[in-house]
Amino acid sequence: MSTQPSINEIPLQNAGIQKTRSVCGYCGVGCSLDILTKDDRIIGIQPAMDGPSNKGALCVKGQFAYDYVHHPDRLTQPLVRRADGQLHPTTWDEALDVAAQGFQRAVDQHGRHAVYGIASGRTPSEANYAMQKFMRAGFGTNHIDNCSRA
Amino acid sequence: MSNPYTDMAKTELAFCIGTNMTECHPVAATFLKKAIARGAKLIVADPRRIRLAEMADLYLPLRVGSDVALLLGMAHVIAREGLVDQAFMAARTTGGAAFLEHVQQFTPEWAAEITGVPAQDIETAAIWYGSANAAAIYYTLGITEHICGVDNVQSLCNLALMTGNLGVEGGGINPMRGQNNIQGAGDAGAIPNSYAGFQPVDIPENQAKFEALYGRPLDSERGMTKVSALEQAGESIFAMLIDGENTLVSDPDRTHGEHALKSLDHLVVIDIFLTETAALAHVVLPATAWAETDGHFTNSERRIQRVRRAVTPPGEAKPDWWIVSALATRLGFAGFAYDSPKEVFNELCRVSPIYAGIDWGMAEKGEYQWPIPYKGHPGTPRLHEDEFINGRGIFRVINYRDPAEVVDAAYPVWLTTGRRLQTYHTRTQTGRAQGIEYFVPEEVLEVHPDNVAAWGLQDGGWATMRSRRGSIRIKVKATERSPRGTVFASFAFNETPVNILTGSGYDPITQTAELKVCPVRVEAYEEVAGPA
Ligand code: SF4
Repeated sequence: MSTQPSINEIPLQNAGIQKTRSVCGYCGVGCSLDILTKDDRIIGIQPAMDGPSNKGALCVKGQFAYDYVHHPDRLTQPLVRRADGQLHPTTWDEALDVAAQGFQRAVDQHGRHAVYGIASGRTPSEANYAMQKFMRAGFGTNHIDNCSRA
Repeated sequence: MSNPYTDMAKTELAFCIGTNMTECHPVAATFLKKAIARGAKLIVADPRRIRLAEMADLYLPLRVGSDVALLLGMAHVIAREGLVDQAFMAARTTGGAAFLEHVQQFTPEWAAEITGVPAQDIETAAIWYGSANAAAIYYTLGITEHICGVDNVQSLCNLALMTGNLGVEGGGINPMRGQNNIQGAGDAGAIPNSYAGFQPVDIPENQAKFEALYGRPLDSERGMTKVSALEQAGESIFAMLIDGENTLVSDPDRTHGEHALKSLDHLVVIDIFLTETAALAHVVLPATAWAETDGHFTNSERRIQRVRRAVTPPGEAKPDWWIVSALATRLGFAGFAYDSPKEVFNELCRVSPIYAGIDWGMAEKGEYQWPIPYKGHPGTPRLHEDEFINGRGIFRVINYRDPAEVVDAAYPVWLTTGRRLQTYHTRTQTGRAQGIEYFVPEEVLEVHPDNVAAWGLQDGGWATMRSRRGSIRIKVKATERSPRGTVFASFAFNETPVNILTGSGYDPITQTAELKVCPVRVEAYEEVAGPA
C-alpha cells in the first residue's frame, strides 16, 4: 500500500481483515466495491463510495451473493470422461492433452470450420480475448460467440 | 449505452421500455429515482405492472411482442405534432424523409388496436418524449429477446434520431446489459462478425491487419452465431469449447440444446461448478471465480474497470485466460506464451483502436470509457456528441410483425419470461449463495387473480403449463402484476425448466432467441395416483 491508511481502515487492519478494490461480478452496471477478506476467505463486501458508476450504492446481489466462491461444490481438479462413460479427476497435463486431441481430430476429419467457441459474458475481457484468438489465430475460423444471445 | 449512468439523474424524461430495472439493475434505478425527485417524468412501457410501472407518470401496458407498433404510433404523433428536430435531422442523419413518410400511416388508433394501449396514452407519451429537451431511452432484454429484437432497437433509434436526443446530456439510447462483462466480451472480439475493438472481419484491411498480427491466413467470412452452431452440432460442428456458461439451462428450447451438445464428438467446458452443461462434456477444466483472478470488466456505459484477486483459488483451478492459452499451446498454436493477464490485456489494447489510449495499469480506478483512440485522450463518456462513429445516423423503415407464434384456441395464453432480482441466470452462482436462495425458494407462475379463478387454479396450487414444445408443472401465484391473459415465469431454476416451453423463433439478424413470448395453455395439475 503506497497511500496512508485512513482512520477507519486501521481497525480493519488490526483485526487481520484485508480490503481489495474490485467490481461486482453480477450485472452490467459494474458497481465498484471492496472485498473484505480474512485468512484467505471473503467475509464481506463494502460498496465503494468513490465508485465511478455506483457512487456507494450496491444491490442485494452485489452485497450478499458471494458465498458461492467458497462453496464445497467448486471444481478443484480437471475431469476427463473415461471408457466407463463417467467423468474422473485427472491432472492438468492429461486433461489438456485429451482436450487438444479432440479438437485436432475434428479439424483433421472435417476441416477448420468444424470447431466452435462460446466465450463468457461473466469472465474478464482477458479470457474473452484469449478465446477469440484461440478460434481465429489458432484454427483460422470466425466461429466464436458469447452468451449475450440469450 | 450511449450515455453514462450519471446522466440518468440529469434526464428530463426517461422512457423505459422492456426493462425491469428495479429488479435487474437496481443501482441504475436509484439514479432514475434521483431524476424523478428532481421533477423528471417517467414513462414505462411493459406488459407487466412491474415495480417501475408504479413509479411512472405514464404507464403503457402493451401486449407482449407489440413494441414496434407502439413505437411507430409514437413516431407518427411526433411527426404530426411538429416535434421533429429538423436541424438535427438535416445535419446529422440520412433517410429521414422516407421515414417520416412511412410513419404517416401508423396512427395512434392503429397502434392502440395492436398493443392494447389507449390511443390517448400513446399520444401523451409521444408528446412528452418529443417535447423534452433531454429525453433518454432505457431498455434491456425485454426489447432484444424477441424475434423482432433488431426492429425494436432500430425503432428506438428512429425516435431518438427524429427528436435529436443523441449526444446530449441526459438523453441517448441506453441498453442495460444483463451480465457483468457482456460488453467486454464484445470489445475483446468474442463475436462472430468482428475482431477485437469491433473491427468487422469482412473488411479486407482488417483481415490483412490481423493476418499480419496473428501470422496466418484468416477468414473474411463471418462466423456462425451460437444459435446456428448449436443447430449444426453433429452436422458441420463437431468440437466445441464452452467457457463458463450454463448453455443448457439458459437457452430456450432446452430439450434441443441438450440434444445438440450430445451430438458433438468433443465438448470441452471451462467452469467453476459441474453445471448441467459441464456434466455432458468430455473434458471439464476448473476455472477461477470472481475474486480469484485479475483482469478487466467493461460495464454497460463502456467503462473499463479493473477486477482484482482477493483470495486464493481452490485446488488446481486456473484463470480462464491461462486455460485457453495452455490448450492453444498444446495444439501447437503460436502467440499464446502469456505469463500474466497483463500481457493479454496489453495485446487487446494494442490491436483495438477503441482501447488504443490505455494499457494495464491505466484503468485502475475505472477512469476511462471507450473509445480512447490515443494516449492522452480522456475517454468518451457520451457517444455521438459531435458525429456518429459511422458518419450519419441512419433512419430505417420498419414494419410491425406478429411474434413467431401467436395465441390460438389450443394455446390461448401469453407466457412471458424474465429474471428476478435475487436470482442470476441459471443459479449456478446465486443458487449456492445461502443468503440469496432464501428469498425465492422455488419458481412460481404469476397469474392474474381473475384468470386463477376462471382457469380453475388455486393460488399456491400446482398448474400444468403446455406449449407446442412440451409441458411443465409449476406453482401458481395470483398477482395483479400480470395482466389478464398473460402469465410470467423466470428462467433461473433448473428444477422448473421453463425453457422447455419457449424458443419458438429467432431474430433473423442477431439470432437472439424469442425467450420473452410464447403461447401456452395453463390448467390445474391433476395428481395421478401412482402404483401403490
Ligand atoms: S451491485 Fe447490483 S447493480 Fe451493482 S453491478 Fe452488482 S448486481 Fe449490478
